[in-house]
Amino acid sequence: MATGPVCLASCGPVVLPWMLTQPQGFKRHGKRLAIFLAGRFAGYLLFAIVAWSIGLAIPSSLAARPWVYGTVELALAAAMLVYAAGWPHPRCRLVDPEETLVQIGPKVRRPRSGALPLGFLTGINLCPPFLIAAVRAAQFHNLGSSLLFFASFFAATSIWFTPLLTLSWVRRSQSLVTVARMASLLLVGWYALSGIRVLLERISYG
Amino acid sequence: MVSSPKVRAPAYRSFGRSALLTLPIALWSLLMFTPTFRSSSRNLTIGAVAAILFMTGLFFMMMRTGTTYRWRRIFFVALGFLFPIGFITTLIAERGTMSIPIERMVSGDTPFCFMVTPALILPAAFARTVVFPGSILPSATNPHSIAIMIGLWFALTLVMGKAWCSYACFFGGIEEGFAGIAKRAKIRKLDPRLRLVPWAILLFVVVVSAAIYEPVYCMWLCPFKTVTEFPAVRSVQSALQFVVFVVLFAGLVVVLPFLTKKRTQCGFFCPFGAFQSIFNKINLFEIRINRDKCVDCTLCQTACPTVALSTESIREGKTLLNCMKCGACVDACKKDAAVWHLKGTEVGVKPERARLLFLYGTWGLATMFGGSILANSLATALHLMHWN
Repeated sequence: MATGPVCLASCGPVVLPWMLTQPQGFKRHGKRLAIFLAGRFAGYLLFAIVAWSIGLAIPSSLAARPWVYGTVELALAAAMLVYAAGWPHPRCRLVDPEETLVQIGPKVRRPRSGALPLGFLTGINLCPPFLIAAVRAAQFHNLGSSLLFFASFFAATSIWFTPLLTLSWVRRSQSLVTVARMASLLLVGWYALSGIRVLLERISYG
Repeated sequence: MVSSPKVRAPAYRSFGRSALLTLPIALWSLLMFTPTFRSSSRNLTIGAVAAILFMTGLFFMMMRTGTTYRWRRIFFVALGFLFPIGFITTLIAERGTMSIPIERMVSGDTPFCFMVTPALILPAAFARTVVFPGSILPSATNPHSIAIMIGLWFALTLVMGKAWCSYACFFGGIEEGFAGIAKRAKIRKLDPRLRLVPWAILLFVVVVSAAIYEPVYCMWLCPFKTVTEFPAVRSVQSALQFVVFVVLFAGLVVVLPFLTKKRTQCGFFCPFGAFQSIFNKINLFEIRINRDKCVDCTLCQTACPTVALSTESIREGKTLLNCMKCGACVDACKKDAAVWHLKGTEVGVKPERARLLFLYGTWGLATMFGGSILANSLATALHLMHWN
């Protein structure tokens, strides 16, 4: 639980702008945050299995870290581009009060929020507290213990995400949603460049 | 060199009355610079005297003519261009270069810049960490500590609100200078959504700084690193950072202000400016449009250097949240519809009193903060010219 603030800070760039692009309402937000956390939990469990299965082979797994890190960052960039920045989603185009923008693609009646994939990708993102937890999980003798450890880790750190529900009360003006989408675009660039840099360094220096 | 927007014919006050109204600022200036007179440096004394005369003289002209913008702009442009002279000279005298090696950054030798303030809040609140490589308390090698700079910024902000960006920020003056060069704007149509970009950059900077424990704006996005200090170029990353700084400076501070006659960096990029806008909500002073007098000529909208007026906001009799209270719209209005306003009073009733109250507080602080920068930079310039 002590690593919760760091977890929240690590996931903040994904979850904060994304939540601001979602429609207002406590129930709706609660549901989407729950799905997001479920996705994150699924990522944790997957990682628990991987962490336990590699067990003592941690040194070799460290060598693979840049590949995982870079790929997850690129996947996060792509997911944010679609679900938070809203490209090429028609509902998520930059808001124009005068409706002068041309709509791209077919109109979707019930657009997907992207809570599950974004949650899953943040779940497998190699943030510092998560790596510490992975090393600890790798030391367990059976898979059950490893899964239980990650489930506890998830439950304790998820408490820190509940304050995000206060965003549901923030009035969604066109300006606010536009700002959140612009920020998401910047974050797409950030994650993409970061991922490419890590992969290039891995390829160049081995 | 610097041309004004369309300014209404000034309503002159008498010389004596203007002098009387200027007296508090003259006395305040003397009080502020008294310690400088005890200094043994002749250049500093000359700089201080020049700063007193400059600040008092400009305030007198504000009182005499009843206009604000053009006099404020003279001060602001001087501040913008003189600040780097003093800053860069000090850096070169101390370390022989404008660049700072990473090891000196880590040891906390970087002077604190107020621009990073919003990015400090989340990590400080959640992890008790200050994501800036400076020292919290002042030291012999670094008097511009985090605590002093934040304290100074907060005091000024309480009085000025977003007017900080027009009376205190030593970076804004540079682009205001470039914005004043051309007689007419080459690019006139600007997408109004551009004014939302600083908010997006603010959100980006705050969340990423909290995630990676690094002042991401200072490391990657600050155009003014070009005229202050920047990380020493020792790797591909630092070279890339330097290129980003120079491109942003050339584009947002030089070329675009020249082409648009707007403060493009302040209006369409600066995340600190967006953060500062929040304080307009609690600041007592604002600019309002008196709907009884307004004829919707949009002269105010054209004059505004940061696109802080829209057709809708004029219709509602307000400026937008990003108004820097520079006074350009008030001076441009030929019908006296754009007025200074003290919150809680009726719009259009004794606007000059609201202007005076605002200017006494703001100009007093500008004299204290910007005036001392001007004095020191002038002293440095005199020293460089071997005026001993």
